[in-house]
Amino acid sequence: MPAAVAITGLGAITGLGGDVAALATGLREGRCAIARLTAFPYRGRCDLAAQVPDAEAGSHGDRLPPATERRLSHADRMALAAATEACRDAGLDAPSRCTAAVYVGATTGGMRETEEAYRRFRGGQDARFRLSRLLGTPLSTAATVVSQALGLFGPRSTLSTACSSSALALAAAAEAVAGGRAPVALAIGTDQLCRVTYAGFDALQALDPSPCRPFDRERMGLSLGEGAAALVVENVDHARARGARLRALLLGHGSSNDAHHVTAPHPDGAGARVALEAALAAARVPPAAVDYVNAHGSGTRQNDAVEVGVLRTVFGARLGRVAVSSSKSQVGHCLGAAGAIEALITVIALEQGFLPPTVNLRHPEPTWDDLDLVATAGRRAPIAVAVSSSYGFGGHNVTLVLARPDAL
Amino acid sequence: MNRDALRDQVKDLLVTGLRLDVPAAEIADDSPIFGDGLGLDSIDALELVVLVEEKFHVSIPDEEVGRRAFASVSALVEFILSERG
Repeated sequence: MPAAVAITGLGAITGLGGDVAALATGLREGRCAIARLTAFPYRGRCDLAAQVPDAEAGSHGDRLPPATERRLSHADRMALAAATEACRDAGLDAPSRCTAAVYVGATTGGMRETEEAYRRFRGGQDARFRLSRLLGTPLSTAATVVSQALGLFGPRSTLSTACSSSALALAAAAEAVAGGRAPVALAIGTDQLCRVTYAGFDALQALDPSPCRPFDRERMGLSLGEGAAALVVENVDHARARGARLRALLLGHGSSNDAHHVTAPHPDGAGARVALEAALAAARVPPAAVDYVNAHGSGTRQNDAVEVGVLRTVFGARLGRVAVSSSKSQVGHCLGAAGAIEALITVIALEQGFLPPTVNLRHPEPTWDDLDLVATAGRRAPIAVAVSSSYGFGGHNVTLVLARPDAL
Repeated sequence: MNRDALRDQVKDLLVTGLRLDVPAAEIADDSPIFGDGLGLDSIDALELVVLVEEKFHVSIPDEEVGRRAFASVSALVEFILSERG
């Protein structure tokens, strides 16, 4: 069994703000970043999203060749912003960064820039399709530019398992350091809003016309978001030897798949349950020791019902004493970035002794009144062990078990 | 078209076509287009060939011609004028 690994650095850029401090403040204040979609013109059933303004993702010209910097997609800029903050937070100097591994989770990369180039071509504004606008499209581009900008020379991989992509990237980072493949690893999730995903989810009638209301009896779907998060992962001994601050421990992870359907979760939640139970087993944590679940909580009718069923099965009679909330109610569903963002939120929750809320949850399902869904506002609670779950389309399930450093 | 107007059009094409973060007026007439100054790379070179061919209806058939045409903004202006006859 892999040993617990330390999380020693955090970086995030979300609809709640351009860094981890802004995110933490937004969580505490119970703010909802979901507002009118402005990233591109769109006419459909729904027009809401949790967006990161282009300017907030910043420029990175001091560390990249100007031509490369100029062509960065919004997703790449957000990844760079989060990764830079995480490395600084972890106190990783250039020699330490040199051997670091990089694992990125993403689903659409710079698709929006490509869509824009196609729109200009179709609209006659460009006589030929601008091929340079395709440069941000490969999902691996974020990992490439982050490595280049920060000087990371260790193993590198990009994972794309729909909405669990960056939860899996964090699991891969943990395995890399626990397995001795790198002393330090950076796990990053990044995704930007684009027309393909927005119109796709809208066509599936998976978007709530109001800001999403996970676990609410009137919930009608999810709200899309965009953002990036980065977490620095290293072995506990390595972190201590260099005097790094342990922000949390990643005790274990589990993954599984539903082998069921391209979009719908398996109705009995078998796959999600396997991932949760495998994560707890790997972490050597009994269900009774879990204080908080940062749920996938997408807000679709199917997901939330299946997820509550899984929690009920695994936690049994103790479920009422496990706080459960969905951060997607605040930052939207950030797809490939969701797993990393929500793992990072879970670290903040552990560190600050604060249960982040499910905002917009005003009418809990009556049959779920045995759950503590942290409705509307967060609250203080001394939590030691927490779980973060991400369930991607196609049944890609990943669960992470995180703990306060003093849980060792 | 006179040289000055064409020079402004070329600079404007550089800035808008390649999305450069410099005002067109600040681009030097006689500095190399692909020197360090504007921070352009080989992908920009490819795009610039396409943009110039489209906008000014000239042909840049090979590297030899390209090297001469893109020596500087002034050189590009002269190239366009001579190609148009």
